[in-house]
Amino acid sequence: MQGFESAFESVEFLLIAGIVIVLAYLALEHKEIVYAAFFFGIMASFVAGFFLLLEAPFVAGMQIAVYTGGISALIIFGVLLLPRAQDSTLEAIESPRAKKIGILVSGSIMFISAILALRFPWSETIPEGTIDASLDVALLAEWLWGDHGVYVQIVALIMVTALVGVIALMKMDKAELMKDITGEFGIEARPVPEEIEPEPEESPEPEEAPESEKTSEPEASEEVAD
Amino acid sequence: MVPLSWYLAVAFILIGLGAYGMMVKRNLIRILIGAEIMGNGVSIALAAFAVYSPTFTLTGQALIILMISVAAAHTALALVLMLAYNRRYGSVDLGKPISQEEKLDV
Amino acid sequence: MQTDRLFLQFIPVLVWAILVIVLIVIMLLASWVLRPHILQNSEKTSTYECGEEPIGPARMSFPYSYIIYTILFVIIDVMGAFLWLLSVSPIRLNPIIAWQTFIFVIIIMGGIGYAMKYLPQTSLDGQETLEAYRAAKARHLEKPHAPGREH
Repeated sequence: MQGFESAFESVEFLLIAGIVIVLAYLALEHKEIVYAAFFFGIMASFVAGFFLLLEAPFVAGMQIAVYTGGISALIIFGVLLLPRAQDSTLEAIESPRAKKIGILVSGSIMFISAILALRFPWSETIPEGTIDASLDVALLAEWLWGDHGVYVQIVALIMVTALVGVIALMKMDKAELMKDITGEFGIEARPVPEEIEPEPEESPEPEEAPESEKTSEPEASEEVAD
Repeated sequence: MVPLSWYLAVAFILIGLGAYGMMVKRNLIRILIGAEIMGNGVSIALAAFAVYSPTFTLTGQALIILMISVAAAHTALALVLMLAYNRRYGSVDLGKPISQEEKLDV
Repeated sequence: MQTDRLFLQFIPVLVWAILVIVLIVIMLLASWVLRPHILQNSEKTSTYECGEEPIGPARMSFPYSYIIYTILFVIIDVMGAFLWLLSVSPIRLNPIIAWQTFIFVIIIMGGIGYAMKYLPQTSLDGQETLEAYRAAKARHLEKPHAPGREH
């Protein structure tokens, strides 16, 4: 039974590792960025399988809840809001020298750290056979909430700071939109043609014109997308 | 039990892939995906150390939890920054040269 | 080494996941085998849009202001994960922990209340666009050659 368990664990590790690496490569290299975002979501849920192998059930659950449910949904939503990102011509840096340097640096990071991981005598540094399989979530909760409760409050403050930053950025975005309408270089900055002198008491434009003005914002970004 | 070095090898392969994506790609969303892949690799390394070292178990798992929550916050901010970049420069291309007028407009 | 490893409890999940993947592959292959491969006429293969001619790409741009709802969801998600961690432990009955939980929830709810309060200022709706447009038009009609308006 013991031999079966370890063999099963090795097979499961190799299966999950292969799936995760292939999905990560696809998320970086697939031509369609919508598919790439979906591949990233599936990769994040397979990483939770590693956490289950490593005796961390709560971390696995949080990985699925936040990464797969929140962050990958956020990325897919960002792709939806930015149709220009679906342009597959901006895949990589055009200059071959910069691309070569990038591949070289990341490849050397991977190579050196993989050598370090496989050759370093971990068994002398960390005593083996001391896996605490009886660890349950209650101990983790007591560590995080009871002994180190400040961390949780700091996480709440980080979340609120991100939210305030998002609101401030969206307000700046709206101010930029308003500048298009009322600003110095806005819609109304075009000079009035001399031969058609507008009446001073002319009523403002009918309602169709501002409506089309409003919807022309997303359409302007559409033509670059294709 | 799978040896610790296997987990570390997978973690470092993921970190290298994410670094490759962040350095070579020009698409802003692709760069963000690369950063998230690097974060996942770091999580795997932390979890492996947490279970193989008896004194680091609770600390390691709590670190992963804090990392995931901070990743959620920075992804939200990064996406809104991308929207602002797209509104200002009309592109999500990081390698696009910005003209002099656009520089003066800033 | 203990024998009751965690992943042994998740073997049914693995079996279920493999079944799901196999089922999806079988369904895709069956539909590929069963569908006609002879090219139909172009009317049949074109996108059906209620008798209208399809215009433009299907992937259009949505207004940016929708992303704030996804961000609110992610923040609630993280808060729920932390409260889930607390809910499995008996220390949640401790009064100090209860006060900590209260402060945590109050901070995040304060942030969400701030976001909900300033939500109308982050997006430009139609009525506001109309008013701004009319005001700008009226200002322009009053003095059409204001400084900074000539090209």
